[in-house]
Amino acid sequence: MNTFFNCKETWLHKTNPSLKLIILLCLFVFAITIHQLHFMILFTLVIALLFLFGTGYSYKHIFLLLIPFLFIFLSTSTSMILFGKGETTLFKWAYVHITKESLIRGIHIGCRALSFAMLSLTFALTTQPVKLFYSLMQQLKLSPKYAYTFMAAIRLIPIMIEELQTIRNAQKVRGVQGQRNLFKRMNILMIPLLSQSIRRAHRIAVAMEAKRFDASKKRTFFYEIGFSKFDIFFASYFLIMFTVAYLFSIHFHISRYRC
Amino acid sequence: MSKRLKLTDILVTIVISIGFGIIYKIWGPLYYAVKPLGLHIDQLIYGMWFMAATVAFLIIRKPGVALLAEIAASSGEFLMGSEFGLEVLLYGVVQGLFAEIVLMAFRYKRFDLFVISLAAISACAGSFILDFYKGYVGDLSTWNLILFIAFRLIGSIVFTGVFAVSITKTLEATGVTKLVRPSSKKDYEALNR
Repeated sequence: MNTFFNCKETWLHKTNPSLKLIILLCLFVFAITIHQLHFMILFTLVIALLFLFGTGYSYKHIFLLLIPFLFIFLSTSTSMILFGKGETTLFKWAYVHITKESLIRGIHIGCRALSFAMLSLTFALTTQPVKLFYSLMQQLKLSPKYAYTFMAAIRLIPIMIEELQTIRNAQKVRGVQGQRNLFKRMNILMIPLLSQSIRRAHRIAVAMEAKRFDASKKRTFFYEIGFSKFDIFFASYFLIMFTVAYLFSIHFHISRYRC
Repeated sequence: MSKRLKLTDILVTIVISIGFGIIYKIWGPLYYAVKPLGLHIDQLIYGMWFMAATVAFLIIRKPGVALLAEIAASSGEFLMGSEFGLEVLLYGVVQGLFAEIVLMAFRYKRFDLFVISLAAISACAGSFILDFYKGYVGDLSTWNLILFIAFRLIGSIVFTGVFAVSITKTLEATGVTKLVRPSSKKDYEALNR
């Protein structure tokens, strides 16, 4: 993702990738335990702040990336708003039954989906996959066998997309008609793509084994990744912001709407 | 005949998952197009998300492959900046684990449609558990919830079970599976003949 657009490096790029990942996972679990609507909205705002101003991308690109988010918000919340359980009826038409409870809950899970999406996009935009795997090897002791194969596989993605295009073109040239059957249509794309990818993966793996990429004892690394002041900065941003948000919601007694 | 995962197995598993990831991206718009209707028609194709696990297992036939495939598929999606983001990673781990448990229960020795369908159902159950925590799915009204569960279950059996088995059969015909599958007892006997 981060190779698509040019951006300037911010402090988020310099944070340790493993730490970033762990904090994100913690936030994910934390968000699931939030049951007050107002705190959920504040939570989303804290993350939106980081996403909008912290990633170092131009606003044009940020807004471009924001468009699908609106769609996520709508699609996640609508089915809960329209069909959720509840007592206080606001609107009723055929099977559609909007209640106060379902409306609140719908907005709540919409916010949740939105904040998760922004969190992970912030991560994806500010982390280089290679640095992430080097960091996982060094800080979290991930076996190099897995880390290097993941890195090799990431490099294969563009090749595979190109190959899919080639397969489609080849089929067009040979006059393969568009199948109406979903499974047949998937089959004629999937079989060539998978078989070619397996062959290529096998060749690469043999080469990697020959070069001892699977050896794990006493490795040295090209990129040495450690910790810096930015890591403290990153952790304290969430700590301080959430404390403020929590105090704010307590102070104004706005935790009435529970989900 | 080693049962441990070699580098080759890992790379092939990951590449298969990424192959599926690319196919998912093509089908993504379809998922979006039907989602906002609220009638859960999208759940019918939800089963595709577990497919990487069973296909990879059927091709490589070693312990741990189903779990690894799901993790790889989800982290690939995550690193490419999927809108579903980090939750994909958690879903991947849980779904892979649930599929793996079923395959483990049969000691990784059965590769027929029945066991694979069971694994599909199990992975589907795993995704439900997370949905109940995350999306308050249990609070949908009853008819809507039943529709939701039924559609997802049907979808996962069709895609992760039936379709995965049929795809592997076709792949076997192309001969690529011979590259990666551990040599069986029959192969050794053929050598001694």
